[in-house]
Amino acid sequence: MSPSVTGIESFHLWNIATAMAVAAPCALVGTLLVARRLSLLGDAIAHAVLPGIVIAVLAGGRPGGWLTMIGAVAAAIVTASIATAVASNSVGVGEDAATGVGFTTMFALGVILVSVAASRVDLDTACVLYGELELSAFDTVPVAGLEIPRGFITGCLLFAGVGLALCLSWKEQVLAAFDPAAARALGLPVAGLSVALLVGTALTTVAGFDAVGGVLVVTMLVAPAAAAELLVSRLHHVAAVAVAIGMAAGAIGYLAAWRLDTGAAGMIAVVLGAVYAVAALVAPEHGILARALGAVALRWRVAREDFLAAAWRAAEGGTATVPRGWAAWPVARWLAAEGAVGWTPTGWRLTPTGRARAETIVRSHRLWEAWLGRNVDLPLDHLHPPAEWVEHHIGSAVRAILAAEVGDSVADPHGRSIPPESPPPAGRAR
Amino acid sequence: MIAALVPYNTLVVAAAVAAVGLAAGMVGALAVLRRRALAGDAAAHGSLAGVATAFLATGRRDLGWLLVGGLVTSLATLAALVAIRRWTRTRDDAAMALVLGVSFGAGVALVTGITARGLPDSAGLEQFLLGHTAGVTAGDAALLAVCALGAAGLVTLGLKELTLVAFDEAFAAAAGWPVGLVDLGLVGLIAVMVVVGLPAAGAVLVTALLVIPPVAARQWTDRVGTMVLLAGLFGTLSALVGVVGSALVPRLPTGPVVVLAAAALAAVSAVAAPGRGWWSRRAAARRALVAWREGDLLASLARGDRPPAGADGALRRALADGLVARGAGGFTLTAAGTARAADLARRREAWARILATAPDDARAFLTVDLPDPAAVIDGARLAEIRSAAERCR
Repeated sequence: MSPSVTGIESFHLWNIATAMAVAAPCALVGTLLVARRLSLLGDAIAHAVLPGIVIAVLAGGRPGGWLTMIGAVAAAIVTASIATAVASNSVGVGEDAATGVGFTTMFALGVILVSVAASRVDLDTACVLYGELELSAFDTVPVAGLEIPRGFITGCLLFAGVGLALCLSWKEQVLAAFDPAAARALGLPVAGLSVALLVGTALTTVAGFDAVGGVLVVTMLVAPAAAAELLVSRLHHVAAVAVAIGMAAGAIGYLAAWRLDTGAAGMIAVVLGAVYAVAALVAPEHGILARALGAVALRWRVAREDFLAAAWRAAEGGTATVPRGWAAWPVARWLAAEGAVGWTPTGWRLTPTGRARAETIVRSHRLWEAWLGRNVDLPLDHLHPPAEWVEHHIGSAVRAILAAEVGDSVADPHGRSIPPESPPPAGRAR
Repeated sequence: MIAALVPYNTLVVAAAVAAVGLAAGMVGALAVLRRRALAGDAAAHGSLAGVATAFLATGRRDLGWLLVGGLVTSLATLAALVAIRRWTRTRDDAAMALVLGVSFGAGVALVTGITARGLPDSAGLEQFLLGHTAGVTAGDAALLAVCALGAAGLVTLGLKELTLVAFDEAFAAAAGWPVGLVDLGLVGLIAVMVVVGLPAAGAVLVTALLVIPPVAARQWTDRVGTMVLLAGLFGTLSALVGVVGSALVPRLPTGPVVVLAAAALAAVSAVAAPGRGWWSRRAAARRALVAWREGDLLASLARGDRPPAGADGALRRALADGLVARGAGGFTLTAAGTARAADLARRREAWARILATAPDDARAFLTVDLPDPAAVIDGARLAEIRSAAERCR
């Protein structure tokens, strides 16, 4: 397999094109499966279509051809009905166990059929487990004078078909996915949409089956959509991003497998897993990193605001002293750099900017205590903890409402006066 | 005599696989009751990568190390599942499918890579995909049997705790049981059984060894101890059928045969099990219908009406039982029939009172064959309902 000969390079290109063409419809169908929480149905179908495909091949069908697609759809419908029958008829057996019984049995049946009939059909267990993406470029049909791989054509046709069906029924699909009760109430054929999704899953599974094998199809179905859902929120954005991720993973996985001298099926799944992991880490809004950074930023802001408020109360001559010690030191240094506090021989002192910021916080705190004291039946010593938490989270609009409700001139329930609203400092949102 | 016909090694392997089937059924019974069937599937698919990594690390096909590797990645797969649930907004079903597919993909990539390089012994690795007991040596078999019997022993020892947590988690936690620890123990046992079951059923299908025998056993009993034992028995049977089947048909992996044998047992159980099975429920429904029709017939004859339409079967049965006699002016009740009709009227009356005053009790105990209330409702409660009915009047 030396890459120097142009013919061999072109077969690699065709294989990559096939991987991408198969990944696209899988990602589209997978978007709906994930949105409707039917990912495991996708898994079950991907396993369960095997006997249908094998019987169709035994009956003279070609892997990936029309007959195998019909066989796969039949097997998918049979499995879905079996799972429903088992779940609704047997008391004490959970739905998960029922599904587990259904699809393992169908897959086992398929493997036995393949093993027993191996000499007569163009299928073996390796093909069932890994697919044969590497060979897809050699199974071609002439189209307009060009030898085009069948898998590529199947993928493109499926993508066009699934894409068209989705475009025509998008509104209905979205409603059925997010509010099935409303969809039913509006008279939408929710059950019909589910059956259509089942058929779509079975059809794309056949295409994916040839490329990556029966077990890994579920990754091509679910992983792109799961990753896309972390990155964007609206369903048509999810679908578009999922298709892009699926196609990219198909190409990258194939190239990685070629470089590492291993099977493309496994590598495509691994690349999809890596994409998901990266998305989970760095997604702008819901990513693990974004949320961790947000949590750290919040704690840092709370620490600084607590320091300012404590210093203000110390200057008021009340209960609190200016925080000292190693834990307070970085907070004070940071505030000094912001120009909110300054170092004097007796300790940290608030600057005018710092005093304004501190007064805002103390005002929030005491307004909240005053409001709680007036409207909520809590003992006096229970007012401080919620106010200590809330002071960091309310803005000037909420303070204005609170002030109007408690009367601006009053003291807080502990008898201390509420500082006046200071003008918003320049350059700060809060 | 058998020993003369079958090689010693095959016998040892069969015994070990039987032990694996037993333990898998027992552990699986509690996994199914605790709704952890799919966790077993994720662990199973994840084990392949560990088996392949252990092979790469040790450079030979030493079953002990391969299984240790499989156990490590199984647990890592489950940990990834927990992490996704905890830290992302991906929903449970997608997380499961994702973890399962990606971990299996990593295993497949490793196995195909190792096979493509033609490392010595590497052909044996593919046996871990669909199971193949032909390559298991007597020493390997002993290891499998010891692990399996250990897992079975742990289930027996912890049966009370596992049952409590499976059926009433809230009560167990409130009563001070370490629910998290028991759950962790169960998941650990599932992972161990998945890995020990790999040679027999393979990464793709080993979950069936944990799930199908318990589902079959559930049809026969309502008692956890009995279910665990039955699941173990069914697991043993299916595992043995798998060994024999794959020995008889060349190139046939063990896993699918094991699964089909277990599925056949489950199908037979679902149809034939007394009480819960399809046949038995159908028979009960028929009995109830017959009783209902008979009651209808007797009631209308007692009122002096003609037999209701469509009561021919009931009429024939009542004639044969001597409840109804054919008189000159039509059908009349015999003395036995009159007594039966009166009894029926009394029971209808009693249930009508209960329905009016204590509908919840009626909903819980009233069945279509109209039993005597005193036979199904606790005596003290019945007296309570009666006095309530008196007060209403």
